[in-house]
Amino acid sequence: MKPKKSKGSLLVKTLIFGAMSGALYYLLFSNEEWVTTTYTMGGWHTVYPVGTALLFSFVHGAFASNFLSLLGIEPKGGH
Amino acid sequence: MRRSLISLIVCMLCLFAANAVLAGGGGPPKNLIKGFFLRVDSDNTALFKKDVTGQEIVLKLSQDIKPEDVPLNRKVLVTLKTEGHKITDEVKRISIMFINLPVSKVVALLVVGLIGGLLSGFIGSGGAFVLTPSMMSLGVPGAVAVASNMCHKFPKAMVGAYKRWKYGQADIKLGIIMAASAIVGVQIGIQIQKYILDHWGNAGSNLYVSLMFVIILVVVGTYVFYDAFKLKKGGKEAQVTRLARALQNINLPPMVHFKQAGIRISLWFTVPVGVATGMLAATIAVGGFIGVPGLIYVIGASAMVASATELVIAFVMGMWGSIQWGLSGLIDIRLTLLILAASLFGVQLGALGTTYVKDYMIKIVMGAVMLIVSVSRGAKIPGYLADLGLRSPLSPEKAVFYDAISFWSLVAALATAGIIISAAMIKGMLQARAETS
Repeated sequence: MKPKKSKGSLLVKTLIFGAMSGALYYLLFSNEEWVTTTYTMGGWHTVYPVGTALLFSFVHGAFASNFLSLLGIEPKGGH
Repeated sequence: MRRSLISLIVCMLCLFAANAVLAGGGGPPKNLIKGFFLRVDSDNTALFKKDVTGQEIVLKLSQDIKPEDVPLNRKVLVTLKTEGHKITDEVKRISIMFINLPVSKVVALLVVGLIGGLLSGFIGSGGAFVLTPSMMSLGVPGAVAVASNMCHKFPKAMVGAYKRWKYGQADIKLGIIMAASAIVGVQIGIQIQKYILDHWGNAGSNLYVSLMFVIILVVVGTYVFYDAFKLKKGGKEAQVTRLARALQNINLPPMVHFKQAGIRISLWFTVPVGVATGMLAATIAVGGFIGVPGLIYVIGASAMVASATELVIAFVMGMWGSIQWGLSGLIDIRLTLLILAASLFGVQLGALGTTYVKDYMIKIVMGAVMLIVSVSRGAKIPGYLADLGLRSPLSPEKAVFYDAISFWSLVAALATAGIIISAAMIKGMLQARAETS
């Protein structure tokens, strides 16, 4: 079994990824007009929604993962 | 020799899949155009500026659309009437492309996203079947709902697949072979749909989809449910089915060893399960309902490995689908990311939940969801029969009643799954804690 991560490092990671995720969501919704127009232009612009979804999944996914660990919700056996 | 034969077949599958991508199958309907209305004239025509190309065209308004109902200078999706294969210039329906998002709608998307993610992380698929109708009930046009949902599916599946791979459950090789076969299956599914549409029209196509949906979900769902209860009652570990054992014993080259799944089986038996998954995905939009049982009962994987591997398939298929819908510019990224905000929590919770439960719990959830979801499509059948003139038309009250059954049974499926998964996870976690303390 891997050694458990310390609460302190989990908290730092959660805060960093949480802040990054929050900033990304803020950026998106504060530029709603530009985003909705540009992202739906079709053709090669498909890289915008697909790339953004990937970026959010890395950042927000890491935040969610660390947040759950911080709450003590871990898989059985601690993978 | 064996290795090069496997590579050759997988390469051919990928080529077919790439060809399918280039052919543009699986994207939005051709009679859908996107752009802005610039002006409405007194003769019931309107000047429309197409998005991207900027081309201006004159469209006729159908009798049901009043000139004052046409939104000017707002991005809209216009569905044009069709006559056989021909697309006319008559407007059938106008939908505002970007809905306003008050707090109530945001909360609704987050809740559905969370439970959909939980289900997806646990059984490998699901969520999508309720997300699309839920978005449509919030006022999102159908094509935008499908596109935005698809774009949320692949990152969610990616995170879920990664987690379950870390837990030693997902078989990446099996997932990639299945996904490449499934993309070929999607193309076959689309061709069958086209054939039915050409011969029996829209109502016939709807009836075919619904009947397939109900028959497959009831038959497979009942079997999965029965199997799960047998295992729960007997308290035994799941056995590989006789069919899967027989197929694994047939030495038909190329034989492939799937290390994580612990299976050695001919590629000739793996590919058809993938193709069937894709065909079903093209027909009823939830390929996982055949993919997971196929992996369990035909290939011989455990429910744990099958549901985890389905996430790999969902990632590949979802990414392919998202590129298709993105090429047509129909993804509302705001909706995608709002669902994702909650579903990335849900999918990871569902994935780690599988480490606390026995194999049969996955089958119980899957069987229950399939059976309840089949009710939603079953409730649509009377309407389609009436459209085909095979029964008397439905009264408006009855039509509303059947629609309500259809929608709420989807919500019930999601709620049931959420409750079973949460209860099983909490029970498993408490047991694990009691054991360690």
